[in-house]
Amino acid sequence: MAQVHSSTVPFEEDDHRAAFIFSSGEDDRQLPTAASRPAKKRKLAGAGKKAASQPQLQQPAFGSDSTFIPLFNGAESPEAVNLRKELFEASWPVLETRIQHVLREANRSTLDEVTAFLQQAAQEKTEKITAGFIITGPNIVSQDLLFEQLSERLYTEIRARVVRLRASEVSNLKAALKKIIRDATANESEDDDGSVVVPSTVSKALFYEAGVRTMDVDPKKGRKYLDYDLDVLSWSDRIQFDVLFGVATSVELFQARLPRSTARLLYGAQFDVVQANSVLESVVKTAVAGSRATLRIGPSLLRSLVDRQQEQVAGIQLFVSSVKYAYMCHFYANPLSVLLAKQLDRKLLQPEHLRAVRMLESFKAKVEVAIDARQMNHAQAMIEDDDYLIAQILEQQQKCEDYLKQLLRTLHLISSTGLSTVSFTELYMTALSKGIDLEQADEMIRPAEVVRRMNADEFLNFIQKLLHATETGSPELELQGWASEAEEFVDAVTELRGEVEGLMERSKHNGTTLRSQYSAQSKVLRTTVVAQKVQLSQDTAALTEEDKAYTKAIDTMTALLSQYLRCEPINNLFLHEIWVYDSKLPYREVFVPRPGAAFARGLSRPHDYLACACCSKVDGGLSSTLPTTCILYHLYLEAGALINVADLWSAYYGLVGNDDDGSMNREGLDERSALVCFYRGLAELRMMGLVKQSRKRADHIAKLKWL
Amino acid sequence: MVRRKITGAVDALAPRTDHKCERAVDPYDVPDDNAAIKKRRRTANVDLNAQSPIINDDEVENDENVPQPELEPTPRKRRGRPPKAAPTVTNGQATTHSAQRQRTVQAVTPIKSNGVDTPSRRSIADRSARKKSARALIERVMGDAVSDDELEDRDIAREIYESSEEEQEEEDDEEQEQEEEQEPATPSNRGRPGRKPRARARKRSPTPPRDLPPHEQYFYQNKPGLTKTSSNTLSSLKLLTHEEYFSLLPKLKDSHAADVDFLHSLHAESFPQWAFEMSQGFTLCLYGYGSKRRLLHNFACYLNSNYPSPNHRIVIINGYVRTLTARDILTTLLSALSPNPDSTSDLTPTISALLSQLSSTPLTLTLLINSVDSPSLRKSALQFLFCTLACHHSHKIRLALAADTPDFFFLWDASARAQLNLAFHDATTFAPRAPCEIDVVDEVHELLGRKARRVGGKEGVIFVLRSLPENARSLFRLLVGEVLVAMEDESKNGEEAAVEYRMVYQKAVEEFICSSEMAFRTLLKEFHDHQIIASHKDAIGTELLSLPFRKEELESILEELTA
Repeated sequence: MAQVHSSTVPFEEDDHRAAFIFSSGEDDRQLPTAASRPAKKRKLAGAGKKAASQPQLQQPAFGSDSTFIPLFNGAESPEAVNLRKELFEASWPVLETRIQHVLREANRSTLDEVTAFLQQAAQEKTEKITAGFIITGPNIVSQDLLFEQLSERLYTEIRARVVRLRASEVSNLKAALKKIIRDATANESEDDDGSVVVPSTVSKALFYEAGVRTMDVDPKKGRKYLDYDLDVLSWSDRIQFDVLFGVATSVELFQARLPRSTARLLYGAQFDVVQANSVLESVVKTAVAGSRATLRIGPSLLRSLVDRQQEQVAGIQLFVSSVKYAYMCHFYANPLSVLLAKQLDRKLLQPEHLRAVRMLESFKAKVEVAIDARQMNHAQAMIEDDDYLIAQILEQQQKCEDYLKQLLRTLHLISSTGLSTVSFTELYMTALSKGIDLEQADEMIRPAEVVRRMNADEFLNFIQKLLHATETGSPELELQGWASEAEEFVDAVTELRGEVEGLMERSKHNGTTLRSQYSAQSKVLRTTVVAQKVQLSQDTAALTEEDKAYTKAIDTMTALLSQYLRCEPINNLFLHEIWVYDSKLPYREVFVPRPGAAFARGLSRPHDYLACACCSKVDGGLSSTLPTTCILYHLYLEAGALINVADLWSAYYGLVGNDDDGSMNREGLDERSALVCFYRGLAELRMMGLVKQSRKRADHIAKLKWL
Repeated sequence: MVRRKITGAVDALAPRTDHKCERAVDPYDVPDDNAAIKKRRRTANVDLNAQSPIINDDEVENDENVPQPELEPTPRKRRGRPPKAAPTVTNGQATTHSAQRQRTVQAVTPIKSNGVDTPSRRSIADRSARKKSARALIERVMGDAVSDDELEDRDIAREIYESSEEEQEEEDDEEQEQEEEQEPATPSNRGRPGRKPRARARKRSPTPPRDLPPHEQYFYQNKPGLTKTSSNTLSSLKLLTHEEYFSLLPKLKDSHAADVDFLHSLHAESFPQWAFEMSQGFTLCLYGYGSKRRLLHNFACYLNSNYPSPNHRIVIINGYVRTLTARDILTTLLSALSPNPDSTSDLTPTISALLSQLSSTPLTLTLLINSVDSPSLRKSALQFLFCTLACHHSHKIRLALAADTPDFFFLWDASARAQLNLAFHDATTFAPRAPCEIDVVDEVHELLGRKARRVGGKEGVIFVLRSLPENARSLFRLLVGEVLVAMEDESKNGEEAAVEYRMVYQKAVEEFICSSEMAFRTLLKEFHDHQIIASHKDAIGTELLSLPFRKEELESILEELTA
């Protein structure tokens, strides 16, 4: 509040300036004011913590790094605050580099193809213009990286200058030419160490990126560029031009827009880009599921993130930002995030931390379980003994790591051996939310069915995959091989393999194929005529000894799998709140805003924001105490598509004005003052784009918005 | 009788012409003061008289029979009336019909020959609907046995009938309105809302349904015929002038001022969080109702005091300033980076210059942009500039945007949003807009169409001039130049800069812009129409021309014109 008052004065003079450098001439006066700000409520708090800040007088440069504010109503020790900050700074950038790596890798094959094509085209020396069409699909937005990589690559490999033209950037031919010349020559001066480059060795690749939004326009523009290129053809003995197009739809559509004479001059090839889904899959594996991720993104948040990627054509960058935001929220607003530190200093934990831990749902659940199990001492110690609790917390760290390992191993085995057909992301989300229990009938993973349907060869292959996965782990998930840890499982599987191999040998010797009770061929349909009626019966074909043994092997395998592949839902874990971030609210507010709803709410129920005494009674209704614009908005809602301003005014004045008799409503405004308010409200409605002038009738305005 | 049969056939075949004729002598017709209509009616009558005197008889009869309901004081009683009318019905009906039908044939000709001012199709339909409903009511009373399925029709008929009665009461008010409506050569379809749907809607749902979702509400309110509004005008109200507005404004006390301040302080608590988000490469986007100017200003204060660094500059851009251009922004940014900027005339090189300069300095910039969705910032070139700045690789520029409209989201396409990396926050402040942000009086008057405000600033002038011939543009360039010179001279004595009409004319002739004073006047008239020029006479009667723009605006206009 103090700030509010202090700042009303100085900025009046900047009112009419369009752009200016901000300088508060009263830094010295402002600083103490800011430092004495009152306690504040955090909106962001993921775990619903209320916290406050007493900004300290540490003064880092804004931009390089930023301070975290002490939580627990300011009681959090500076060490703990710093630790949170360090944890964030240690965890996210690592992940970000990994993600960048994954994204760059995803484009590798496209890059190779394009480069090869251009090289080959350069050797062929045709009269035509070399044109590559890169089919990006609708998510052309997220392909910035690809084009960037392409220009780097082309420069290093074939010394090509790359000028990138974007539909939005170059609206006409002149702008395009300017940009081409400028970019091309700028590169020259920068890169060529002063040596003059003979133009014939310079090949320029023009990128023309056709955005999906402006698709109808773009091909025409593309045509312009090609026309331009035709002119440049006269120079082609000296400068070699290649054109690369980014196409969001298809080459056919693009070609349909080109005149035939232009199309004939192209020597083209088409390249596909890795589709968004597979990129998303690898990013999820790396950044969300991978063992490097210090913070787990909870299943429901992850679900909404993934859904958004699929429903809206959002670039992968948005997904990355959202995950980053989840990290930010957790470390910035949850004081318990210090518990994520690998080597936790006990002294760092304040009584507030322990109190907060005891407030957690998972803590309560654990204590209740202990009471149910009659472990009264344990339960009591948990609640009363701080040291005991700290010990439990530290112990839990290890448990969480184990859980994670088990989870990832299970998922890796399932996805790499083809036990489940759904995507890894889907599998991961299910595992987190519902856990994996193969004995429970689950839509997604039915190992028994999959395994039973296998013939002997497939079965062996499957075993091979299992063993391989166990041995090598997954580099994507940063999962080490764990064969040495799971000796029992490996042994059992290896034994099964030997057995089945032996069985196959024997049946081959006998001249039969090995089959199990479950394979389809074993069922024989028999028809018998009994008393002139046909009876159908299913009979198990006679199984050989080997077949029976094989059937047994399959049964053993399914039992083994369901015993070994299992994990709990993540919410069953003690202290899961600390290392799982699953709050959808900040994400929704920050990334999927509903401005229309916010405006509508503000205008129709100002009390929700203002919390004023005068408007609390009306509860979304109309009252003379509401701010003018809100009153007008209410009247606006009641009106039809065309509003008579005279009626609007009389309705408004009737509500806020004083009576002409002077007997009623003494607090009301006189006509001219009310008119001033009315003007302001109407002007604001117009500014927000709710109404516009209507030429249909005098003094009427037209409604434009239905929020 | 033979003739009647034929007319009946014609009636059935061509209902529209039938309505047209009825329009002329409809007994239910609102007595219309409109001169055009009167005239038409007169001609129709004359024609009728000339052709057949019998019809005159019919008309008289008709007039006697049907206007009776109008004597009834309220519609309620009228509802009870039909049984009373029953005895006379046979007669009445027969005459009405014959009268109508006969008139049909004969009246066709005059209307057609006259057909310049066709009455609005809808009003014809309305009248005929009213007429038909009257007929239906009478018929019903006459033939007592009514089948069930007619019941609904009957209700509708009565409603139409009654609604038209009501309207007759409002008649006086409507007269003026009708004048306005009928004047255009082609009346708009919606000019006169249909009565039928309105009447039905009125009966079924007296108030519009409240809980419809917005899209349903849209369709509901845009149903044809629902756009009925009263014909009151603001003519009795003396509209505010700027002077009155600003003299009254300080006296008004906002009862919510304390609450607004409180809300502001709540938002201010998020400053550290916002700063953190910006430091992590997000672009803040504040939206919600109310002015966010003060909020951003305080945010700037916060940043300045909590992260004091010699290498950090905050630049504030006020989008609500109508004359804001990309160059303003770029020059400010450049001057923030280096004390003596060398601005070039072209836009794009300045961006790259800015970016390259940025990479080479240790400085970081924070851009706070007010009203990012204001008309002056809506141009894609400017938004593109922001995107370029936001996604600059060294991440030395951070942005915070404040949006004022609910539609700000459409400013950016997917690619722009990806570049900006937006983090949205609901910052509904309820703070009133300062006079610099919104010109209340002009906005409202423009909304009411009361004062065609001069075309807005530089953009408007350029737009207008683009539609004018080359010599008009040259003339305006000349004018701007002269006025600027005059401004230089007169800035000392503080008068408004104006140039002599004669002098401008001479120069225009010298520069071959126009050859005669007539042509010169014509060109000036064009400027007058768009209010981009003002003329007045001084004390000794010399005609002076002036331009209603500020000096900076004039300079940029001149630049644009000479470019």
